[in-house]
Order: sequence, then C-alpha cells, then structure tokens
Amino acid sequence: MNYKKPILAGLLIILLLGLTGCKENKENTDSKTKAEIEIPMILTVNPTTGKKNEEELVNAFNEAYKGIYHMDVEWIMETEEEYRKNLKRLNVTDKLPAIITDLRMLPSFYEMMVQEGRLENLSPYMKADKDWQDMVEPAVMEACSEPDGSVYLAPISTAMFSCSGVFWNRQLFEEAGIREFPATWEDFWACCEQLKDSGITPLALHTEGTAWAPMLLATAELADSKEGAAFMNELFPDSYQNKNGLRMADTLKRLFAYTTEDALHTDFDVAYRNFASGKSAMLPNGYWMIEQIPEDFAGNVRFSVFPGNKLISSPETFGWAVVSSYSDEVKKGAVQFLKFRTMFNQQEKEAFLEGNTDKDNQMLADYIAAYNSGPQMVPNYQVKWNSVLQEETLGEYLPKLSKGQIGSEEFTRMEDDSIRQFEEER
Amino acid sequence: MSIKKSSGIQKKYLQHTLVLLTLALLLSSMGVWVYVRKNMTSVIVDKYEFMNEKMGISLDNLYEKSDEVTAECITDDSVQQSLKAKGLENVEKNALSKYFAYIDLDDVAEYCYVDNKRNVYTKSYSNITYEEFKESGFGERLSGSYAGTEWFFTEDTLFGTGESALFVGRMVRSMDYAHEPGMIFFKMNDQFLKKLMENKEAMEETAVGIMDSSGRFCMQNFPSHFSLSGEDEKKLKSLAESGKSGIISQGQRLETGILQAYRQRESGLTIFTIVPNSVLTSGLNQILLVLIGIYVLVMLIAVGISLYFSRVFTRPIQKISREMENFDGKDFSHKLDIHTDTELDKIGHSYNEMLANIEQLVGEIKKQEKELRSSELHVLINQINPHFLYNTLDTIYMLARINGEEKTMKMIQALSSYLRLSLSKGSDIVTVADELENVKSYMEIQQIRNADLFHYEIDCQVEASKRWILKLILQPLVENAIKHGFDDIFEGGLIRIEVKEVSDRLSLTVYNNGTAMEQEMVDKINALGKTPIVELKNCFADQKHGYGIINIMTRLRLKYGEDVKFEYEVQGDGTKCRILLPGDGRKNDEL
Repeated sequence: MNYKKPILAGLLIILLLGLTGCKENKENTDSKTKAEIEIPMILTVNPTTGKKNEEELVNAFNEAYKGIYHMDVEWIMETEEEYRKNLKRLNVTDKLPAIITDLRMLPSFYEMMVQEGRLENLSPYMKADKDWQDMVEPAVMEACSEPDGSVYLAPISTAMFSCSGVFWNRQLFEEAGIREFPATWEDFWACCEQLKDSGITPLALHTEGTAWAPMLLATAELADSKEGAAFMNELFPDSYQNKNGLRMADTLKRLFAYTTEDALHTDFDVAYRNFASGKSAMLPNGYWMIEQIPEDFAGNVRFSVFPGNKLISSPETFGWAVVSSYSDEVKKGAVQFLKFRTMFNQQEKEAFLEGNTDKDNQMLADYIAAYNSGPQMVPNYQVKWNSVLQEETLGEYLPKLSKGQIGSEEFTRMEDDSIRQFEEER
Repeated sequence: MSIKKSSGIQKKYLQHTLVLLTLALLLSSMGVWVYVRKNMTSVIVDKYEFMNEKMGISLDNLYEKSDEVTAECITDDSVQQSLKAKGLENVEKNALSKYFAYIDLDDVAEYCYVDNKRNVYTKSYSNITYEEFKESGFGERLSGSYAGTEWFFTEDTLFGTGESALFVGRMVRSMDYAHEPGMIFFKMNDQFLKKLMENKEAMEETAVGIMDSSGRFCMQNFPSHFSLSGEDEKKLKSLAESGKSGIISQGQRLETGILQAYRQRESGLTIFTIVPNSVLTSGLNQILLVLIGIYVLVMLIAVGISLYFSRVFTRPIQKISREMENFDGKDFSHKLDIHTDTELDKIGHSYNEMLANIEQLVGEIKKQEKELRSSELHVLINQINPHFLYNTLDTIYMLARINGEEKTMKMIQALSSYLRLSLSKGSDIVTVADELENVKSYMEIQQIRNADLFHYEIDCQVEASKRWILKLILQPLVENAIKHGFDDIFEGGLIRIEVKEVSDRLSLTVYNNGTAMEQEMVDKINALGKTPIVELKNCFADQKHGYGIINIMTRLRLKYGEDVKFEYEVQGDGTKCRILLPGDGRKNDEL
C-alpha cells in the first residue's frame, strides 16, 4: 500500500530523534582555570596569648598572590621546643612542610639537613634577584650564608627585630623602690636582692627548651668580659671546663636563686606566665614578645638592654628554609614567599625608623632606644653551641646545678660530655 | 468474539489497529530499552563505583595506617638510639627485635629492621644475616626514597619463601644527625589486602583486583565464568602505570564489562572493579521479559477493546448492508432503525428517505404507465374516429355549400384544418408552417365565434417549412390570450404571432393587446423554468387555471430539456409570451 512508506519513514524519523534524544549531551565542563599552588607550612600559635604567629605576613602574601600561590598554613598550639622536636619527626617521616622555621636554633639538625640535601640552596635565587639582595642588611646576609656561599636560610631584611634583652615589670620595681633597670651586673644582682627583700621574685626562669631565659642572662653576663665575649663568638667550643664555662655555670646557679619554685623542669611558657601574671619582675626575651604581652599588662612592662649595654642577636635564627623534596612549582612559590617576607620585614623596619609606630607603646620606645644606644651584640648561644648541650644537658643538669646537687665544675664537665657525644654523632 | 464472523470493515480496522499498535509498542519498547539500559547501567555502575571508591579509600586508610605505624617505629627512642654512634646494648637489641612484633599493624607476616651498623632485627626464628639481607636486593628497593613509606609487591627473597607478597618498607633516619639510615621492611599476609574485598555479595558477581604500579596483579577475585581479554589487560596495565591517583576510571567500557579503578597515590596500587557484561544484561533481561509481558497484555486488551468498540459501528453498517442486499425492489416496508449517535444514524435515515422516494417514483411510474396504456388505447380508438369525423365534416361542408352558408363552410374548413394537425398521428414535432396553420385555423374559428373581437397578424421570418416545433404549442397560448386577455373587451383585439431566429435559436412570440397579465402571475409563470418537472402540475392549486401553461411547459422541457426558455412579459399595451427553442426545433426528436 502506498501510505505505508510515508508512515514507516515517519516512524523511522521519530525513532532516530528518540535515539538522538537518548544520547547524553555531555559537555566538557572541565575547568581550565589554573588552580592556586598550595604551599604547605606549619607555624605556631602562642600558647599564652593564642595569637597566630606571622598571621599578618601570611595574609598579606595570600592577598598579594591571590590566584597564583596560597600559603596553606597549619597553625599548631605547640611550645617552641615541641615545634622543633616535631620538625625532626616530620623530617624522618618525610612529612615536612615546604617552608620550615627555627632551623638555625637546632644546629645539628640544620647541619644534617644541609648534608642530606634536604634544603633548597637559595643562593641562585638571590643572586638572580638584585632587588631581594638589596633588601637584606649585609650583616644579616653574612649570618645566613654558609662558608661556601650557599644560602639555606632565607634572610629577613634587618637584624633590628632579632634582638633580645630584658623585659621588666615597672610596678614591681617601683614597689621595691627601684626606678631604673640596672646598667651593670653588680647593679643587677643588687636589684635582685632588693626585689627579693621586698618579697618580689626577681626572675622568671625555666630549665627546658634549651633554658632560653636563664641562658640569655648567663651568656650576656659572660660576654661582659672580653674573654667571655670571645668565647661566645666561638662555634662549637671545644670545652666548657674553663674560666668562661665556670663563670657561666656560677651565673646560672646564682640566677636560679632569684626565681620561682616552678622554674625547674618547665619550659618558657611557665616563665612567661609568671612574668605576665606579676609573680616575677624580669623575663629576658626578644623583640617579638612586645606584641604578645596582653594590653592590660603592657603598660607595666619596660624593655632594657642586658646589664653592660648588651643585646643578644643572631639574625640567622630568623632565617626560614625551603625543603628541597617539593616540586619545582611549590619551591618557586615558597621562594617567592620568603622574598615577600624579606620585603615585609623591610617595610616594618622603614615604618619603625620613620616613627610610624605606636607612640604610647613604652616597650617599643624602650626597644628603639636600646637598639639605638649602640649596644654590644652578643651571638645567640643556640646557633653556636651543640645540640646535645642545648637539648639534653641543660635540661637535665641545670636543675641539679640550681639545687646545689652538682657544682659548677660538674656542670661544665657534663657540658663537655655533651661535646663528646655530639662529636661522636657527627 | 470470533474474528471469522467479523465484517470486512472490522477486519481492516483490526489489521490496522494491530499494525499501528505493534509499531507503537515496538518504538516505545526500543525507547524504553535504550532508556532502561542506560539507567540500569548507570545504577549498576554507580553502585560499583561507590564500592570501588570505598575500597580505594580503605586502601588509602591501610596505607596511612602503615605510614603511621612505621613513623612510630622510626621515632621510637630505641630505633633512634640504634642509629646513633654508640648503638644498642645486646639487651636493647633483643628488646628492639621484639618491639616490631607488637606494633599496631595487623597482618604482618614477617619484619626485618636493619640499622646502620649491619645489625638485623627480625622475628627470633628468622635468623637473617646482614649478608642475606644484602643479597635479597631489598635495600635497593628504597634507594629512591628519603623516608617515605614504600609499598611493593615482589617475590620474597628476604625471608626466603619465594612467594610473591606485599612488602611495606621505609628508610629509618636519625632525627638529629646525618647518620647512615637504617631500613625496615614488613612482609604482609594476603589478608592485609583481602580485607578490602569484604563485600561478599559484590565479590560473587564482579571482578575485583589489585595491581601494582607496574601493572602486575597483586590480587584478584574474579567470578568463575569471568576472564579478562588481552585488550582489557592492556588497558588495566596502562591505567596502573599512568601515575594518576584517586578515581582514575569511572564507568569505562571494556570488552568484558565496565571498569572502575582507584589508584592509591603513595603506594601506586590500583584497585579495580569490573562489572561483567553478564551482570549488566541479566537485569535488563528481566526488565525485557516484564516489558514483553506487559505489551502482550496491552495488545490483548487493545484487540478486545477494538473488537468491542468496532462492533458499535460495524453492526449498523452490517444492518444497512444486509437491508440493501435483501431489498428486492418490491417490499418497501423494511425501514432501518439505527441509533448510534453517529453519522451512521443519518445514513440510516437517508436510506429510509431514499426508499420512500423510490416507492413514490415507482408508484408514479406505475400510474404513468397505466395512463399511457389508457392513452394508447384512446389513440387506437381515435385512429378510427378521424376518418368518420372527416367524412362527417365533408358531408356537413357539402350541405352548407348546397345551402350557401358561407360562415359554416369557413368554420368547417378551419375546424377540419385544426383537427388535421391536432389529431394527426405520428411525431410530436411538426413544421413551423403546420403549427402556424393549426393556430391560424383555431384563430379563424374563434373569429367566427367572436365576431370583431380581435384580428390577428402572423409574422414568420423563418423558412416555415424547414423549421420545426413541438406541435400544439401556440394554440394554448392564443387560447389563453382570447380567454383572459380579451375577457374585458368586445372588439379591437389584436393577436400577433412572430416567429424569427435569434442567435441560432427559434423565437416564437404571441402578443395580445388585451388586459395585461398581473405581475404576480407573470413572476410565478417565469419561475416555473426552475421548478422540477414532477412538481409543475402542483404549482397551481386551482386546476382551472394554468393548465395550458403547465401543459406547454411540461411538454417543452420534456422535449427540449433545460435549454428551452418560456417567459411572459407585460408590456404597456398588452401581454407578450416568448418561447425560445434550441437549434432548429428538432432537438431530442428521437424521444
């Protein structure tokens, strides 16, 4: 029949249309937008204040490099000692973030990282970038450079913010009838006596965490003599069983006579709490603590150079390193961040020098005055002395020394034993 | 319901219904098949994608667990001490050997830790020496890694079983110093990976396997009827070697089924699931069977309903058909009684009307036949009488002549002439000359009867002997003119007859100057040309009037058809009747 053909043709068209309709209209929705390169990093949260360290820097970088790089920072609540131990754990489990800090405060670990090629040599990056080089003060650059010219620690711009001195409680001092911070060590000890006599604990100290606070005071006191200053400039001293070692041990023992009972076997955070709560009148620490002191307490706090017009500073301790096992693009981003940090630091310095700072901040004013008073710069013992001494010996034997369980000679002998152990492991 | 008893229409209806229904079902089944197949495949693939991803995540978890546990081993004080220059005392070494036996990792078959002083720590019965460790080649396995957890599937040359097994290995580095690293290896039981395949129901119907980064099968669990084609194996190997991680294949069509694959980033192991084609089609076959069942049911119901509803229409049609077949032309009593609320009711009604019309026509024909027979009888009788009538008229004429009665003689002559045409037998068609002679005789008779009433004029502009006309047409017209036109006068009347040719047609007009015909009558007569012939006789209710006009009109239309024109016209001083005949007036002479 004639009508069959058109009907069949029509049905065929419907069928084809139906089948065509069944075909999935799959659009290629693949995004071609290039994702931000994530740069992992671990930073600490101040255990006392809860403030995220370096948050301002990280946010500024993420804003400036939005869409290109992103600092993926994990802020962890750890003490500095815990953080540094964690760095070691992360290294042996191959889980290090792309950028690591505090490396220079772990001398043997830093040495190992360099030897095993775990750190990216930043020298080629810096040589190729004159702007970056120009941002860095020569002293800082020299401190961050290895003898062979390699640079594993990206420098900050200036040593201005790396100095440590003594924070002191003006109110407690006044209660004890003391108006000024002692300028000499004799005055310092007299000051301690006067405070003690007034029922005030003079010093906030601790023994764990490389005994940072007492060691700052002890090494500053040691550098008060010419020999002592020379001793502090030595890298990995051969022995502590000498005049300088004994002097430092005596000082340490004497310092712990003016501190709280909970200073032994505890870390810096305990010392900080004692100071911040008004239990202790003095706490040695660096510039970075100015921002960490609570506002309601800050009005009572002043900053001074160590007696004998000394500040302790090793700008390389502020150098941050790039882990070499990351991909080139991540490493490139990490280097960019470190350059940004240098620039950020330079801008801080310029603002600082131009007086664009908080005029009401007495501590800041004290710090500027101290820095500009031409103090003697004493190297940080953490970059000079062996890891065993810092991480084991001080924590173990300083309490004994302070309690009189061992004498200064024994203490220096233990220090020398740490040298032996360190050399064995090296 | 029997199809055999069905009508032709019903059969055709059913045939087309079935063809259309079959096509519709075929198309819809194809659509449903395609759609269901797509969706079924999608559902099945989704199910196994989820399962495969779950296994992949479990693989991630296994790796992470091994990573955590080995990290704990590395950072363990004893292990770290073993790397230091001083090393461990024998007691400490024994303790460390046992330490690895109690780590928080299931399914460890063997372990081997080698420190940086060539000390080997294993289970107590293993007794592997450092040299044997070196010969095993396992040390090279970790050469490319700083301290990451490495998984590798290889022949067991370390513990000497020779079986292929999964090993977890890791460099053990000192946390503080740049010492030579140690190495730790865990040989895992088969159960370690088999735990990933816990879904027994899914395992029965799908092919699940694990491949290492070189495309080597570490483990496989295939259904008994399933085997991979060579091409599929190549594709799997290619995926395993791709270096990608996470879900690396989703619903990829292979020759043997549909593939889902997940590649664990750190270990490089790829876990895959292939849903065999048989699994995909088994579900579809069930749906197809249900579909066919539904369609068969639909077709049966459709046929039943079609038969039922078609009968609503075919029954009346059959009834009409039966009545028409059985109609014998005599019995008009069988009327159709159809009530379907469709056009069929009209057909039935029209059939009944048609039957009534036929009955009426047949009756009329019979009547006409009867009249015809009667007429023929009279004609036969009259064929005898004219001779007697003419002889008698001749005798009367002779007597009048003897007596010298001129008027009588003239009247007898006219009457004789008139009757000769009127009573003459033969064709209805006569020459115009004969027709004029006839009407002339009639008018002369009427002039004798009505002295001085009228005079007449005849103007024949055609060759009267060669033009033809239906006889006795003019006489009734003249009779009407005398009877009605001159009813109110006694003298001075005029009848003018004019014959001429107009546009190849023969025109005859009869004019009288008497009382003009009423316009209403004129219009009525002029409308007769459009009235059906059979109804002409009913046009004048009063039989006394119009008989002559109807007679002429009927005869003219029967003779010349619808070509003839007959009309009256009222003029200022009288009435004119005009007849137009087609051709030479002989049209339809054969009738």
